[in-house]
Amino acid sequence: MLTRIEGGHVVDPASDRSGVGDVWFEDGRILAGGEGRAPDRVIDAAGCLVMAGAIDIHSHIGGGNVNTARLLLPEHHRAHLPRPAATPLSNAGWSTFETGCRYAQMGFTTVVEPAMSPGAALHTHLELSDIPIIDKATLAILGNDDFLLSMIRDKASPAMIEDYVAWTVASSRALGVKVINAGAAAAFKENVRTFSFDDVVPSYGVSSRRIVKTLQGAVNALGIPHPLHVHCNNLGAAGAADTAAVTMAAAEGLPLHLAHLQFYGYGTEGKRKFSSAGARLAEIVNSTPEITVDVGQVMFGQTVTVSSDVMRQFSARGTASPKKSVIHDGDANGGGIVPYRYRPDYYGALQWAVGLELFLLIDDPWRVFFTTDHPNGAPFTTYPAIFRLLMDREARAEAIAALPKAALAMTTLPSIGREYSWEEIAVMTRAAPAKLLGLKDRGTLAPGAIADIAVYRKQPDIEQMLGAAAYVFKDGDLVVRDGEVTHYRRGKALRLDTPVDAAMRRRMEAFHQERYGLSLDWFTFPDHAISRAAPFAEVACRS
Amino acid sequence: MAVAWIGSREVTGTEAARRAAELLAQSRCPVFSLDGDVHAWRAAIALAERVGASYDQLQGATLARELALFTGKGAITVAPGEVRRRADCIVLVGEIPASCRVWLKDVSGTKPDLAGGTGRSLFRVDSGRGAGRQVSSGGGIAQTLAALRAQLAGRSSSATVSNFDALRKALGNARYAAFLYSGAGLDELAIEMLQGIVADLNRTQRAAMLLLPDNEDAWGGALASTWMTGFAPRTGFGRGMPEYDPWRFDAARMIADREADLHLVMASRRNDIARLPRRPTAIVLSRTDAPVANAAVTIAIGEPGRDHDAVRYSHRTGTIVAQAAEKPSQRASAAAIIGAISEALPC
Repeated sequence: MLTRIEGGHVVDPASDRSGVGDVWFEDGRILAGGEGRAPDRVIDAAGCLVMAGAIDIHSHIGGGNVNTARLLLPEHHRAHLPRPAATPLSNAGWSTFETGCRYAQMGFTTVVEPAMSPGAALHTHLELSDIPIIDKATLAILGNDDFLLSMIRDKASPAMIEDYVAWTVASSRALGVKVINAGAAAAFKENVRTFSFDDVVPSYGVSSRRIVKTLQGAVNALGIPHPLHVHCNNLGAAGAADTAAVTMAAAEGLPLHLAHLQFYGYGTEGKRKFSSAGARLAEIVNSTPEITVDVGQVMFGQTVTVSSDVMRQFSARGTASPKKSVIHDGDANGGGIVPYRYRPDYYGALQWAVGLELFLLIDDPWRVFFTTDHPNGAPFTTYPAIFRLLMDREARAEAIAALPKAALAMTTLPSIGREYSWEEIAVMTRAAPAKLLGLKDRGTLAPGAIADIAVYRKQPDIEQMLGAAAYVFKDGDLVVRDGEVTHYRRGKALRLDTPVDAAMRRRMEAFHQERYGLSLDWFTFPDHAISRAAPFAEVACRS
Repeated sequence: MAVAWIGSREVTGTEAARRAAELLAQSRCPVFSLDGDVHAWRAAIALAERVGASYDQLQGATLARELALFTGKGAITVAPGEVRRRADCIVLVGEIPASCRVWLKDVSGTKPDLAGGTGRSLFRVDSGRGAGRQVSSGGGIAQTLAALRAQLAGRSSSATVSNFDALRKALGNARYAAFLYSGAGLDELAIEMLQGIVADLNRTQRAAMLLLPDNEDAWGGALASTWMTGFAPRTGFGRGMPEYDPWRFDAARMIADREADLHLVMASRRNDIARLPRRPTAIVLSRTDAPVANAAVTIAIGEPGRDHDAVRYSHRTGTIVAQAAEKPSQRASAAAIIGAISEALPC
């Protein structure tokens, strides 16, 4: 069906397009125009903003830890049922079904689950396949696994490590690689309780720094488009800004992505020894072009923190609200689920402010990405409220006025006047994520791109506008109209097409036989195990 | 080979699916009792949503006990692979499922290769015969665990626990202690007490629990239910949205209290279901060659992993695995039959 979206305000930084005009598409792809043909369908977009479907690079939407969080908190989901929006826990529920629908309603069409344990890849992909409408992708976690740590300890060649990384990405159907508190989960199993960038994993003699640098090199050498995605050490600790700073310095000219930087933006000043280092970290990002970050914005209210940083989550379990948690020592990767309620007290207000400082003080929207680290900083359903805070300084001032002055005195936020433009929002949520992930077919309305399109009816209330899109098309299918889902469809999981070395496969077979007493078949799976037609789509590595 | 029956009359699979759909459409309060691989659970939960049914595991009481710790208290847990490679002190608590014996024997016969490479000690807390020293108070497992928790924390207890000093010494020396249990061997309070012991130990050292589910397919179904609806079984769609209530949606209770007017049973193993009560009306999907007594509709299905490829939870990996059919047959999967019933439902 040839469709023309007519007369909307088109914002597409990837093709340098900004202004009133039409967008054409047919058979799931954007066209330059109708080539003289009459459209089969015309969507009146007068008074609307038209952008590509949004891409979320870091949101925990599927896999073992997320599902354990659901299991742990039935009261959250119960509260998520039709109730007044202000009801406690009213925004903390998320089944796979809700996840797809709510993302689509906001105009998001691709979401990356950034922490898939390779050993639980089948579970993760089964969950993702049950998320309707949107496309998904995963990052495979490495950096605490015995095979890699042993190779680094034993001074294996870079080529052999690259083979292992390629095998892991291919067998787990991932789009990239993440490292989480490198080495800490392995150290925690040996009763180590804190772990910094230059600390060494017992029994391996390998530092966190060395693990990160090894993986960064392998990811770069393999041509994996997305840089190594790093969850730093010392998350949430006062003084963690020092850790983030040394990690960024360790990039040494090669691309490196730091996840949820907000959770490291804490200094040690003031009588509470907890202050904002947001401005300092923003300055480092501004002056280090090889670094990209996502923020992990905190919003007030109930959520649950979900992380494979098992050491950090173990130490946080005393703050659980409600008072229950799950801590899991997995094969290589651990996991911790700790429910938490962000309150507008000194500490909560400071965390909230640090995230906004990072958004507003990092100059280049191509290098700072829009996330709450769902559900860690806040559920993804809070995105429209955060867009408002970024685009409207008066809304920000109103929110600031309600927070403890002692906390605000420790930040630069009240003095920042920047307001994001629609072009910058489009860069941060569309063009830049596509570029960062190597997804050439989305994040843009340029001819040839897939027809993932979000149309928003302009109105003074940005939160309302971006929370309920007027129209959303996924692969050209109309899936949302006037903020309501109209059509369910299956998305795909995007995976890299990494070649696998046959010798590495044999090595992995021998390793699993010897160490677990099981064939490698127990740890891998055929595509048809997902039981959906064409569940995956291939993404090319850099040549 | 017959594949379906309406009452005792042999019919085609299509006819049986159509009759099952009619019964579901007419039902005011359908309840599902489920057992099968992950795909079967996914299909059945989707059908439950369409017809407003509640669902439970086929023998739901044990699964409910296993789930209660996670929904109510939380835990410190470990993967089976890490137990095999790392645990130098293993404590079996209560009866362990027979299906796990091969794995247990394998683990008992190996040394941990991570973090030390020493041997491992093995204890059994009110567990059956086998390797390892028996730890017991003689007053039942709940009493033994309570006494153990008190005494390990340096408090006194009226109960005398056999081999306590040996266990305390082994735990004190352990680099990683693993406590293995199942919902078939422990009640909810005992599981919670075990979790308390593990939490106490972790103040100064490392220890964790490993659930060896009594029924692996039940645990796989619980995981699928949780991601699909936000809730583990016992969940119901009677009000058009998923609601979780382990008492209200207990299938056995709903049938005993005559709340349910239709019972859909999905039983993937031979001889799981031979006869049903006359009420309520029943639709049975079973690995059978004959109609199930008293069932309104019986449809033959295959056993996942035997007759057809399957995706199921495994105690050996602690996660969901793909399993190729051992003896591929023409028997349909439960998921396929549920799909046929769904298609036959009125729009």
